[in-house]
Amino acid sequence: MSRAHTRTAPTIQLATILAWIAFALVMLVTLFPVYWVLRTALSDYKEIYVQTFVLWPVGFTLDNFKRVLGMFSAEQSVAMGGTATGINFWLYLRNSIIVSTFLVAGQTFFSAMSAYAFARLRFPGRDQLFFLYLTAMMIPGVVTLIPNFILIRDLKWLDTFQGIMAPGFLMTPFTVFFLRQFFLGINHELEEAATLDGASIPMIFWRVALPLSIPALSTLAILQFIATWNDYLWPFLVGKNEAVRVLTVALAIFQSQTPQGAPDWGGLMAGTALSLVPTLVIFLVFGRRAVNAIQFTGFR
Amino acid sequence: MTTHRQPRLAARREALYAWAFVAPSLIGFLVFFAVPSVRGLLMSFTNWDLLRPAKFVGLANYVRLFSDADFLHALKVTAYYVLMNIPIQTTLALGIAVMMDKFSKSTIIRGILVLPWLLPNIVVALIWLWLLDPTMGFLNQIIMALGFQRQPFLGSTDQAMPTIAAINIWRHAGYTAILLYAGLQTIPKEIYEAASIDGANERQMFFGITIPLLRPVLVFVLVTTIIGSFQIFDTIAITTKGGPVDATRVVYWYIYEYAFVRFKMGYATTISVALFVILITITFIQMRYFNANSSDLD
Amino acid sequence: MRSRINALALALSIAASMLLVACGGAAAPAAEPTAAPEAAAATEAPAATEATAAPAAEAVTIRYGLWDGNQQPAYEACAAAFTAENPGITVKVEQAGWGDYWNGVQTGMVSDTAPDVFTNHLAKYPEFASKEQLVDLKPFIDRDGVDTNQYLAGLADLWGRDGKTYGLPKDWDTIAVVYNQDMLDKAGVTVDELNNADWNAKDGGSFGQIIKKLTLDANGKNALDADFDKTTVVQYGFIPGGSGGAYGQTQWSHWAVSNGFKFNDGLYATKYYYDDPKLAETIQWYANLNLVDGVAPTLADVKSLGANALFTGGKGALTTDGSWMIGAYTKDTKFKTGFARLPKGPEGRKSMFNGLADSIWVGSKHQEESWQWLKFASSPACENIVGSYGVVFPAVQSGVDAALAAYTAKGIDVSAFTAQATEANGTFLFPVTDYASEIGPIMDALMDSIMLGEKTAVDGLKEGNDQVNALFQ
Repeated sequence: MSRAHTRTAPTIQLATILAWIAFALVMLVTLFPVYWVLRTALSDYKEIYVQTFVLWPVGFTLDNFKRVLGMFSAEQSVAMGGTATGINFWLYLRNSIIVSTFLVAGQTFFSAMSAYAFARLRFPGRDQLFFLYLTAMMIPGVVTLIPNFILIRDLKWLDTFQGIMAPGFLMTPFTVFFLRQFFLGINHELEEAATLDGASIPMIFWRVALPLSIPALSTLAILQFIATWNDYLWPFLVGKNEAVRVLTVALAIFQSQTPQGAPDWGGLMAGTALSLVPTLVIFLVFGRRAVNAIQFTGFR
Repeated sequence: MTTHRQPRLAARREALYAWAFVAPSLIGFLVFFAVPSVRGLLMSFTNWDLLRPAKFVGLANYVRLFSDADFLHALKVTAYYVLMNIPIQTTLALGIAVMMDKFSKSTIIRGILVLPWLLPNIVVALIWLWLLDPTMGFLNQIIMALGFQRQPFLGSTDQAMPTIAAINIWRHAGYTAILLYAGLQTIPKEIYEAASIDGANERQMFFGITIPLLRPVLVFVLVTTIIGSFQIFDTIAITTKGGPVDATRVVYWYIYEYAFVRFKMGYATTISVALFVILITITFIQMRYFNANSSDLD
Repeated sequence: MRSRINALALALSIAASMLLVACGGAAAPAAEPTAAPEAAAATEAPAATEATAAPAAEAVTIRYGLWDGNQQPAYEACAAAFTAENPGITVKVEQAGWGDYWNGVQTGMVSDTAPDVFTNHLAKYPEFASKEQLVDLKPFIDRDGVDTNQYLAGLADLWGRDGKTYGLPKDWDTIAVVYNQDMLDKAGVTVDELNNADWNAKDGGSFGQIIKKLTLDANGKNALDADFDKTTVVQYGFIPGGSGGAYGQTQWSHWAVSNGFKFNDGLYATKYYYDDPKLAETIQWYANLNLVDGVAPTLADVKSLGANALFTGGKGALTTDGSWMIGAYTKDTKFKTGFARLPKGPEGRKSMFNGLADSIWVGSKHQEESWQWLKFASSPACENIVGSYGVVFPAVQSGVDAALAAYTAKGIDVSAFTAQATEANGTFLFPVTDYASEIGPIMDALMDSIMLGEKTAVDGLKEGNDQVNALFQ
């Protein structure tokens, strides 16, 4: 609880003001295109290419959102510049939540186990194996895509949740690498104390290392959750079936239908805005948790 | 740790536990990364059109690679991209992380910063395609309102690659900042207190404490973002498709073009192997240079 | 614990899949195209393995792939009509946008999961055919006595090679001029003038004059005016649809062919004539609209969002586009649009005549049922339904009539497209050859550099011609 004393009393200086201005600028540049998504989603489809220099939604309408949520018939959708293919938003939302939650839970836990071994335990071949894991990050996805797809087919896992989750469920090189670096960065002292108290390795991992790394674990889990949420090509190939189709795959119907065609901007942006809500909520809720965890671990 | 005092039995037990800890991830690694990659490597010695049985051609694909001017061009374009992307993105992210650490721990601000990264890739590319459109894009409207000539951005051979770099910096800077910020939290504040009592100024503390202690995380960020930016693909696939002419035909797009446009899987995997070797070399040098296996806390 | 269970599950399923491969080895799709009678027999084997899932037997579901979402309701209506006639067969329509669609078909073929019947494209099918992925329909056609003369002239021929047939036509498209009525009115250009315009590669003919008349700078002066400032254009006379790559289907093929150019010597030719001076002068004229005259936007302007977006945004008065884009031009614009005839070139009016067809994938486990569906989908019964939705021109005349009625009901005059299709020598066919997937990337890059003014048409096309013809060596 030494935080209160860490900072020297803030004196308003020119540098601080400049820093704030720079920070505000970063925020603005960050936010504007995201705002543009919302603005387009709320605009009338006929105005989209016409009034491009207007900051607020043109011809304000909620039709795009209603269309994505399936509140119009196919004919009405087509008349509104959309496609006739309906999207079952709530089902796809559920599927996205299932896939992202279970995948990230498995991935984080198993990656943490091996990352701990790589960072703390001694065993022959450790560094070589770790470097091998790292190399997996450098393999272009094009190479593994088709073999993995065929494997999933052979397992009869096409159009199943486990098929979508399988490749990342036990590890990704990224998560193992991330957690290993964090385990390296945290203090050994508590673990050493536990060892002297006679605790076994799994016990230390479970009771000491994991609680200490909650900030890192939750940060990673959130990041991976979102990455999974936004993943497209793999679930497109493996999970075409309605029952397991995730949101990103469903949103693709708003992209251009023909080689020359333009995307259905209104539908795409409204769909994106809607699919953004769950990830944003998760980030804000669990992101706060992560911050609190940092403050309560009490070792700094 | 305390290995020297441990009896051998304990060491063996530790190794046993370690393998048990590593086992699940090892299965995932072998099944979904190692085996398919080895198959890919074998593919590079064949001509395979995906649908008919592969034909063994020995080293023919590799011979071809060394005289392929387009591959060389793709390498150059990729290097150009990486050299623009990494320094700017990392500096910017570090700046944002330090500012977040100093001024605000607000989750809202962190939420805003990762927003670009919450958007699906397709949408990011499409939204920028639109904002940067030469005639109807918002940015060009501002440029013209300020009395300047409108810019072609993605449509010109000179500006396309820098524009793509800018889009990806926009997308990833906040995210990278979050990673670095998480790393900053592991630095004990007492060290700063001690340094400030000793009369160190902000600059000295940044270069003397923050950077060295952030090293494991910084190395992680650099290694992953460099590997990632060598594999730049999504944004290009949606905005420029390697064009105009061949201005944005990066290695990864070149691989994709051979694999799924020209259906020459053998040559596509040959290029992949080349890219893989390049990345391994760079990563190996990085890990050595930064001595990534330890933090200065040890 | 969980890891162990998972590993166990993995091991079990790997073992199970190996078992499956071992047993099902015979049922796996042979690389050779199956002849019709054998295909009928082959459908029984997989039916037996699926017996546990569907004890009623006979109930077969055909997966049908298409990319144009606008056509999905039409084909779903067809599928319902088909199932009503053939109660044992259900058709599941699967739609994915252009890029994903081909990705899905390709990986589907590799992994034995492609749709049974899928919409095929002329630039794609020769490759699939040469890789033995398409069922030869000829035995089926002969057996059931399907009359391929029911399709508009030439359409059926596009889908055959060496006595085999890989698809039955379902629709066709031509190119026409799209205009912004408001801009014509303001410039005092009539639709009649536009319909009767002529064109040549030297100065653009009267069509070139109309383009200039419709181009306005910031001072309201048009491009015929001596004081016209091409650096401040606010309204372009013409919006090119991009560089057009290897075929220029909606971009330059109509200009080039009406100037006497031909791509090659017909179906499955082994030599392209991209170095033809007639093509070079056409392409140079096309590029100079922007580079010299300033009456068209730059390639950069067109490339990002497409000609359709610029036109919809009111940036230009004219463009050329295909009949499948009719809906996009009429319902998404705030101003009145119309379609005019292509101008008359030295060799007359010429439009590329392109069509889609359905093909059956060799890996389909229900080839007989697939054929039944394909036959239905390209018969008047279905094509009249498709026509009535007014989104595309079906390949049979009665379907075209239904489509015309539907367009008329919507108040859209599409005669510019149909007149072109029925005019004597008014169309030329899409150049179907091998190596399409390699010709594409080569010509894309070269046409780009010509449009950007980095290469002259003569040099760029010579270079492209050499590279393309080298593929056939």
